[in-house]
Amino acid sequence: MTGEKRPPAGGLDTAALERAFVAELRRKKRTGLVSLISLNALGIVLFLLAWEILPRIVPNINILMFPPPSSVVHALVPLLVSGELASNIFISLQRAMAGFALATVLGIAAGLLTARIRVLQHITDPVLQGFRSVPVIALVPLSLIWFGIGEGSKIALITWGAFFPVWIATFIGVRDVHAVYLRSAASLGAGPVQTMIYVILPSALPLILAGLRQALAIALIVLVAAEIAGARGGIAYMVAISHQLFRVDIMFIGLAVLGGLGFLLDRIFVATSRKLFPWYNQDSGG
Amino acid sequence: MPKSRTLRQPLIEIAGVSKIFATSDGQPTWALQNVSLDVQQGEMVCVLGPSGCGKTTLLNLIAGFIDVTDGVIRLQGEAIKKPGPDRGVVFQEYALFAWLTARHNIEFGMRMRGVPKAECRARADEYLKLIGLERAADRYPHELSGGMRQRIAVARALVNEPQVLLMDEPFAAVDAMTRATLQSELLRIWQQLKLAVFFITHNVEEAIYLSQRTILMSPHPGQVQEIIPIDLPYPRERGSAEFGVLYARITAALHGQNPNVVDEETKQ
Repeated sequence: MTGEKRPPAGGLDTAALERAFVAELRRKKRTGLVSLISLNALGIVLFLLAWEILPRIVPNINILMFPPPSSVVHALVPLLVSGELASNIFISLQRAMAGFALATVLGIAAGLLTARIRVLQHITDPVLQGFRSVPVIALVPLSLIWFGIGEGSKIALITWGAFFPVWIATFIGVRDVHAVYLRSAASLGAGPVQTMIYVILPSALPLILAGLRQALAIALIVLVAAEIAGARGGIAYMVAISHQLFRVDIMFIGLAVLGGLGFLLDRIFVATSRKLFPWYNQDSGG
Repeated sequence: MPKSRTLRQPLIEIAGVSKIFATSDGQPTWALQNVSLDVQQGEMVCVLGPSGCGKTTLLNLIAGFIDVTDGVIRLQGEAIKKPGPDRGVVFQEYALFAWLTARHNIEFGMRMRGVPKAECRARADEYLKLIGLERAADRYPHELSGGMRQRIAVARALVNEPQVLLMDEPFAAVDAMTRATLQSELLRIWQQLKLAVFFITHNVEEAIYLSQRTILMSPHPGQVQEIIPIDLPYPRERGSAEFGVLYARITAALHGQNPNVVDEETKQ
């Protein structure tokens, strides 16, 4: 197709033209990438610079309330050295992951069953939809009364919050499986259970993954609410305690860590999905 | 069915079959009314007709996807109750499992029936070779062209060694040049494997090019209008005089049904 084997058309050196064309294309792509990365970096530097300077020059600003990046880094060092930050991150991650894992199992099971069994769908619909409409943060006080401030209450809250997007996404994915897939499976000799495992689940997977990704974000939000309400460790607990001590610098560290965690978990999720399901073009990954 | 009939028994017997559907406003519509038809072992049959003539309904009934309202369809004397690998189905499009490679799509039926892995692989290779797509074995459907996807779909059905291949306008969504290639390949495979093919189309030329008999259907209610034997030797010459005569005759018969509907259909 590249035309390299064609004879020169009317004295035209096609091979040389193509080489030049491809080289130009590559150069444009490379310079495009370089300028993209440097502009991104410039944005970050400008932001940090403004943050460093503004608290010092704007009048009537208490620098303790708006600590510049240099103070935040200064506060970060002892937290890193003592291992306090790492242990808080570990505690929070553990809670978020336990709740997310439970929600994944329960949400996919509930979605599969309610989408495939009509009776079950109609029986559970009013109650599940009703529960879904209650913002999960509003359940924090109730959860404290029922489960105290132990791990159980936090994981239960996170599971509850993350369950609904997984359930809804699985339900829709399974309900809307292309009829031609089901007919193909039946005419190729697959039984009901085989059809469920090898056809319905994979065909619903793009939607299930979208639901899981949303559930992951919700898990972090509920985690923060649960830790602020009462905990003995965790990133949001660190933020809440710093609030009482007027340590805004440590609060900033907590916020940055939460932001970083959310971003990293989302990236890991997308990368894992791509790795596990190469046929699924997740072009919403960006 | 008494076994003594097996000698002259048709492969598929469609006896007095009717199918009623409900329209969206709840009115009953006859998709098929009292249709009777036989398909012989190894026969290539095309079913031709405008939309609404019930040709796809007929295929779905033979495949076992839906039930008859009245009458009976038998495969080798046994009434058809549900879908099964003895009747391979090729759909118009989007029927390959998007999450499986071409090879795994072909292996799917054997895997479901517990055929050992090595045998699955060997037979998938054999059928990939039959359709000339060995090089595409490990590609996913979204990486394949429309024509390649339909070849894989044919292989996926054939690998189960069905008695009959049911094809529902399988080449309607591919471009004209690819369609002509796929048609000759289908004839080659049919002659090689000696199985029956039940092929739905709304394309007159396709029916004459492929079939030994063309079943002409008419709509409202869906009925068999005429059965036209196509006695031309294979491979057929689309430009030949005999081809033209048949084309004119079938087109005229279709126009006799309802000129408006047919004009719309033959445009494609």
